[in-house]
Amino acid sequence: MKKAIFFLMAVALSFVAAGYRWGDSAHSIGVIKAGGGEARHPSTLDSGEDGYTLISTATVLPPYSGDVRVRLDGEPRIHYRIYMSGPAIDLGIRRLPKLEGDTVYGLRPGDRPALWVVMKPPVVDPVCGMACGESPLSTGYQGNAYKFCSEGCMDAFRKDPERFKDNTGVRGRYTLSFLDTKTEKPVLTVPVIFKGSGDRTGDKTGVGHGEHKGNGKGGADDCGH
Amino acid sequence: MTADTKVERGFWVRNRLWIMLAALVLFLPPLSFLFQFTGDSAFCGSWCPRMFFVWRKGETIGEFLVGFLRSYMGVALVLGILVSTFFLGRYWCSHLCPVGGSMELVSRLLPRRLKINFRTVPAPSFRYGYLAVYFIASAIGAGSLCCNYCNFATVPRMFGAAYSMADMSYFFRTAGLINLGLVVALGFAAKGGRAYCNLICPVGALDALSNRLGMRAGRRVRVDASKCDGCGACAKVCPVWAVESGRKETASIDGLSCMPCRECEKVCHKEAISYGKHHA
Repeated sequence: MKKAIFFLMAVALSFVAAGYRWGDSAHSIGVIKAGGGEARHPSTLDSGEDGYTLISTATVLPPYSGDVRVRLDGEPRIHYRIYMSGPAIDLGIRRLPKLEGDTVYGLRPGDRPALWVVMKPPVVDPVCGMACGESPLSTGYQGNAYKFCSEGCMDAFRKDPERFKDNTGVRGRYTLSFLDTKTEKPVLTVPVIFKGSGDRTGDKTGVGHGEHKGNGKGGADDCGH
Repeated sequence: MTADTKVERGFWVRNRLWIMLAALVLFLPPLSFLFQFTGDSAFCGSWCPRMFFVWRKGETIGEFLVGFLRSYMGVALVLGILVSTFFLGRYWCSHLCPVGGSMELVSRLLPRRLKINFRTVPAPSFRYGYLAVYFIASAIGAGSLCCNYCNFATVPRMFGAAYSMADMSYFFRTAGLINLGLVVALGFAAKGGRAYCNLICPVGALDALSNRLGMRAGRRVRVDASKCDGCGACAKVCPVWAVESGRKETASIDGLSCMPCRECEKVCHKEAISYGKHHA
């Protein structure tokens, strides 16, 4: 009886553990190839976390060889650092690609670089979704501080804070691109999706932006403060 | 046994500590010696021993087989472990595995009062409940226990974190912290240091099946009932609580958990425990 209980307990706990999806990290597996490789599936992360880690592993398919620059694109811009797995003491038994800055040098067929992209999202206006870390406009609600890119967004939030209070994270589709340094063409593209459940209609309907004093460039990446 | 009688112990018994330490040097950072031959730095990649045998929902046969190619060293490692275990017992787990070995060695350094005793958990029941979900969850698309909860990813990165920001990054995320917690609670802080191995290591679970299947054909740790006086000393030192003794007159060893660390053999004052072939 005791054995049956522990067996069922293990089954239940394991199913819960297996089904739980970590919102602040994802693992992407893909191929790097001359014509443009793809990840096996998009990497999905939960909006609203303080930081994220994306592990991107890829196998280099022949005949591609070269250097690739790795870049995370999307708006608003996310601050990120890239690290590459490798032996702490390289004994020189096999030649390994090297990461310097955002560029992986010396990729050859059969290599399998494992990159760790550690992301720090910006402070985001909960109404329109723009980055607004430098903005002096802020208000508090239920013990949390919120920043805004414009008076209009702040007013919209104050009128209906329940609608916007959970919208403090970056949202939508970003792309981690591996660009060949000679041709500037992507040899691997990894979609990265930030999913959120709260309502952020301000960026679609223009709520609050009647008084937006942005940078005048028409971009949605920054509030211009 | 008289006081001046000295029992000769075999190489694997006498040198177990040194073999475990050598395995740490060969497999773990900063040297990661064996991985460097394949251009890897840890078990992730071509050495992964956990992922290739898991079928994922929607996966074609071709994709499944590509997983074997991707982890070709892991495939060779697991096959080697299972075959050697069938004939010789779980020497990989007891002596060579750097993951289990490091957990046991750290556990030895902790004071006894800080350790958690998992002995009341019926290990095979829990282990095979976990292993069943390990296979089924992926097959039906209900999630995965594979990379999300991986001892072979966590322990090498704990060693590597001092040297590499990539390894340190593993612990910047919730999954890394949960894995760290599991290794600490079921490994470092566990009595014997092997609760992780005994309960939720899928390679250990498969290895234990091979161990059980080869009980008659292969060499194993065995009890001579005619010599055993049921003192229970062997049960107290078993890191995987595979020895049942004390309540019964003679000790018995569970083939689904035993690994030939042979700690029981060392403490048996009656020389009732030995390693060898089955005698009918």
